[in-house]
Amino acid sequence: MDDHIIEPHTRTLHTRREFLRTSMLGAAAAWTLPVFLQKTFLTLDAMAADSPIQTVTGKDGTILVVLQLAGGNDGLNTIVPYADDAYYRARPVIGIPKASVIPINDYMGFHPKLTGLKALYDEGHLALLQGVGYPNPNRSHFRSTEIWQTATDADKVDSRGWLGRYFDSCCKGADPTVGVSIGNEMPQSFVATNPTGVSFSRPEQYRWVNPGQEGMGADSSETLYRELNQPDETNAAAMDVNDGGSVAAIGGAKRQGGSTLDFLERTALDAQLSSDKVREISKKYRSSVEYPKSPLADSLSLVARMIAGGLATRVYYVSLGGFDTHTNQVNTQDRLMAYLGDSISAFCKDLQAQGNFNRVTLMTFSEFGRRVSQNASNGTDHGAAAPMFVLGGAVKAGVFGQYPSLTSLNNGDLIYNVDFRSVYATVLERWLKAPSEMVLGRKFPLLPIV
Amino acid sequence: MLVPLNPAQWDFSKAAHLLNRAGFGGAPEQIETLRQAGFPGAVEQLLDGPDDLLLFPKPAWAAPQDMTQMRGAIMMMSPEEQKEKKKEIQKNNRGDLVDLVTWWLTRMRDTPNPLREKLTLFWHGHFATSAEKVKQPYLMWLQNETLRQNALGNFRQMVKAMARDPAMLVWLDTRESKKEHPNENFARELMELFTLGIGNYTEDDIQQSARAFTGYRIDPVDESFRYAAFQHDDGEKKFFGRTGRFNGDDIIDLIVKNPACPKFITRKIWEFFVNDDPNPGVLEAIAWNFQRNDYAIRPLMREIFQSAAFYSPDVIRAQIKSPVQWLVQTSKELEIKIPPGLLAMNALRQMGQVPFLPPNVKGWDGGKAWITTSTLLFRYNLSNFAVGNGPMAVEKFRLNNNKPAGPERPVDFDSHIDLAKIAPPEIRADSGKLIAALTQRLFQDSLSPRETETFVKFVEMKKPDTSDNTVRELLHLMMSTPQFQLT
Repeated sequence: MDDHIIEPHTRTLHTRREFLRTSMLGAAAAWTLPVFLQKTFLTLDAMAADSPIQTVTGKDGTILVVLQLAGGNDGLNTIVPYADDAYYRARPVIGIPKASVIPINDYMGFHPKLTGLKALYDEGHLALLQGVGYPNPNRSHFRSTEIWQTATDADKVDSRGWLGRYFDSCCKGADPTVGVSIGNEMPQSFVATNPTGVSFSRPEQYRWVNPGQEGMGADSSETLYRELNQPDETNAAAMDVNDGGSVAAIGGAKRQGGSTLDFLERTALDAQLSSDKVREISKKYRSSVEYPKSPLADSLSLVARMIAGGLATRVYYVSLGGFDTHTNQVNTQDRLMAYLGDSISAFCKDLQAQGNFNRVTLMTFSEFGRRVSQNASNGTDHGAAAPMFVLGGAVKAGVFGQYPSLTSLNNGDLIYNVDFRSVYATVLERWLKAPSEMVLGRKFPLLPIV
Repeated sequence: MLVPLNPAQWDFSKAAHLLNRAGFGGAPEQIETLRQAGFPGAVEQLLDGPDDLLLFPKPAWAAPQDMTQMRGAIMMMSPEEQKEKKKEIQKNNRGDLVDLVTWWLTRMRDTPNPLREKLTLFWHGHFATSAEKVKQPYLMWLQNETLRQNALGNFRQMVKAMARDPAMLVWLDTRESKKEHPNENFARELMELFTLGIGNYTEDDIQQSARAFTGYRIDPVDESFRYAAFQHDDGEKKFFGRTGRFNGDDIIDLIVKNPACPKFITRKIWEFFVNDDPNPGVLEAIAWNFQRNDYAIRPLMREIFQSAAFYSPDVIRAQIKSPVQWLVQTSKELEIKIPPGLLAMNALRQMGQVPFLPPNVKGWDGGKAWITTSTLLFRYNLSNFAVGNGPMAVEKFRLNNNKPAGPERPVDFDSHIDLAKIAPPEIRADSGKLIAALTQRLFQDSLSPRETETFVKFVEMKKPDTSDNTVRELLHLMMSTPQFQLT
C-alpha cells in the first residue's frame, strides 16, 4: 500500500501493468487488442498472481451492496417500540398506532409498509442492528454523512472513504468496475488514493454519444474515438522492449501533460471498457422479477442485472433520498418505507431467481436517526442513533444490539450502543475477506451477522 | 525573485498558456492580441485590466431585504399564508441563484479583466461558502463582489473583509457568537483553511480568538455588517504568545504576521495557477516576497506570470480543467454563448462544480478529482452538445441534495456556433489546413503525430463531404479526447 518505497520507474511500470490487466478483465468482445498487449498479457497476469493481496472480483467473489438513506432516516418510526408508552407520549401525532405495526417481538415491530423486510426477516435473511451510531454524534447532514463515508472519529477528517481505502489496500489490478455507484456522482466512501470505480445512472447513456448513427460514418468515428482514448501505444510498445526502464525515458522527450495525461488516458480507457461491458450486460439481461415503480427499485434492478451479467464488481453503491423529514413526516415515511421494503424485496427475489442470493449482502445506512420527540410541524429534527439493516442469502438473521432507551437520552437523542465501524469491520472481514484494521485504522469488534 | 522568462521565447503558445491560466482562454484572435503585447507587456495588461462594473451591473433582484419588516409581516399571517410565503421565498431564492450562476459565468466569459475573474473564482473556492446554508442569493452576490474587489488587492484586507462578510457570518455561524458563548466555527476555519493550515495554531488559540470575533452581526434592515459592542468580549486574550484586548482585526493582524501564513497562501495560489508539487525553492522565494510586499496580491501574480517556471513544458497543458474552466474556455474557443441558467447549472453539477455551491468549507479538491469515468464521458457528450449536434440528456437539478434528482431529460439548446468562421469553406477540402486550424483553436499547440493522423483519417474518410455536419463531428471527436481536458 505504501507506494513511496517503490522506485519511480518500476512504479510507472507497475501501474501500466495494472491497467493492462484491467483492460483484459473488462474488455468487450468486439474490441481487439494491439498485438503487443496480447503478447505481454499472460506474463502480466502471472505477475499479478504473485502479488501478496489476491484481487477477487465480483464475478466469482462475494458482493456488497451499500444503500444510503440520505437525509437522516427516522429509526423510531422504522422499527417501532409499540410496547413503550414513552414513544406515544413523545409522538402524540406521528407515532405509528400499535395496531398497524408489524410485530417482531413483544416490544417492537416494523413500520406497516415494511412488509417486504418482515418477510425477509421471517425467512431468516435479515439482521436488524439496533442503536447504531458513534461517539460525539454530529447533527450536520454533510459532516455526519462524511463521518459515515470516511469512517473516522467525529473529530478527525480523512479525504478517503472507507471503501476507497478498501480499494487501495485490496483491489490492486482490479477491473475499473470493482466499485460501481449507481448515479452520476461518486460517493465520498469511494474516494481512494488511486481513483477507483465507475458511476452511471442509465446504461444507455453511459457511453460516448455520437449522433449520425445511421450509415457507416458513425462506425468509423467510433473507431477513431477509441483509438484516441487509450494510452499511447508507441510508449507502451517501447516498454515491452525496454522492460524495467522508465516509460518517460523512452523515445526522447517526456510527453507534455506527463502523468496527468497518463491518468486521463487510463480513465478514458476505463470509461470505454466499462461502458461497453455495462451496455452489453444491460442489453442481454432483463430481470425475471417485477420491480415496483420507484427510483430505488430502478437502481436495484440495474444492480441485479449487472450481477447477473457477471460484471466484476465487488461493491455497489445505491442511494435513496428524501429522509430529512422535518415536517409532516407520516405521509412521506409511508412512501419511503414502501419504496424501501418493496424494492429490497424485489431485489432479493431477483437474486434468488438468478441463483446469486448467497453471494450478495446489502447494508443500509443513514447519516443519523432523528429526535425522540416530534417537533411543532409534525415531523422530527436531526438526531443520532438509529437501526441498520443487513440482509442477504448468507446473513445470519436476528436482532442485534439493544433498542436504545427512550428516556435516558443525550440532549433529547437516542444513545448508540453499536458503533457503525463494527458493522463495516464485519462486512470487510467476514464478507469481503479484507483486513478491517488496515482499512478502518483500528480494530472494531465484529458482529455475528454474516 | 524567480528567474523570469527570456522575452525572446515569447510566442503564441506561451501567450495562450498565459491566457488559459490567468483567465479562461480565448479564441485565436484574442490570444494573438495578447501575444502582440509582448513580454512582459502581456502580463502587465492582465494585471491592469479595466474595471468592468458597467458591463456587468448587479442583477435586478440583488437587493438587501428588510428582515425586521418581513418578519413582522409574516407574523401577521395565518399558518397557511406563512407556509405559502415560505414556499414563495424558497422558489424565488432558487430562481435567483440560477440567475446568479449565469451572471457570473457570463462575466467570466466576456470580461475584459479575465485575471480578476479567475482570481475571484480562486478566492471563492478558498473562502468556500455555500448558498445551501446562506440561502439568500443577494448575500452570495455581495460576497462575490467583495472577493472581486479584493482579488488583486491586499490579502490581509481580504481576510478582514471576509470576517465581516454577511454570507460568511451566516455560513460559519459568527452571527450567533456571543460573549457568554463564543462560537468557534469561524475562528477554527479561519486558521485551518483560510490562513495558516493545520499544525500552526493550538486549540487554545482557537478558543481565545473566537472570543475576539464575538459581536459580529448582520443588520436586520439593510443586511450589512453591524458590530454589536455589547455582545463583544472585550477582555484580555492570549493569542500566539501575545496578550491583549484583541478584537477580530487584531487577531487577523497577528495571524498574517505568522510566517506560516505567506507560505500557506502562496502555495495554494501556485497550485491553482501553476502546478501541484512546486519546487521548495520556488515556494520559499514567492512566500518571502509576498510577505515583503505586505501581502499585496498583484506583485505575487506578476512574479508568477513572469517566471520561466510558469512557462516550463511541464506546466503548459498539464492541468485538468475544472468544470467551470471547461465550460467557459470551451465557450470562448468555440465562440458560443454560455447555456442558459438551469442547463449550465445541471451540466456543471454533473461535472462536479457549481459556483456558489461548494460541497463544504474546504471548497473543491480539484485536479484528478474532477475526472471519473462518468464525468469524463459527460464532458465528451457535453462537447457534442456544444457544437450543436443535438439534444443533451442532463439530469434535473435539485437544490436540496437530500431529494432524489429527477430523471435525465433531453434538453435542446442552440449554441449558434459559427462553423463558417471556425472552419472556413476554403480550407475544408485540405485536411492538413483544416486540422491545423482547429487544433490551434482547441489546443493552442500541436498534438502528437498519432492524434493528428487520427483526425486527418477522419476528414479523409468523410470526403467529399465537407458539410457543417462533418465539421461538427470532427470538432466533437477532437473534444472527446484526454488532451482536451487539459489547460
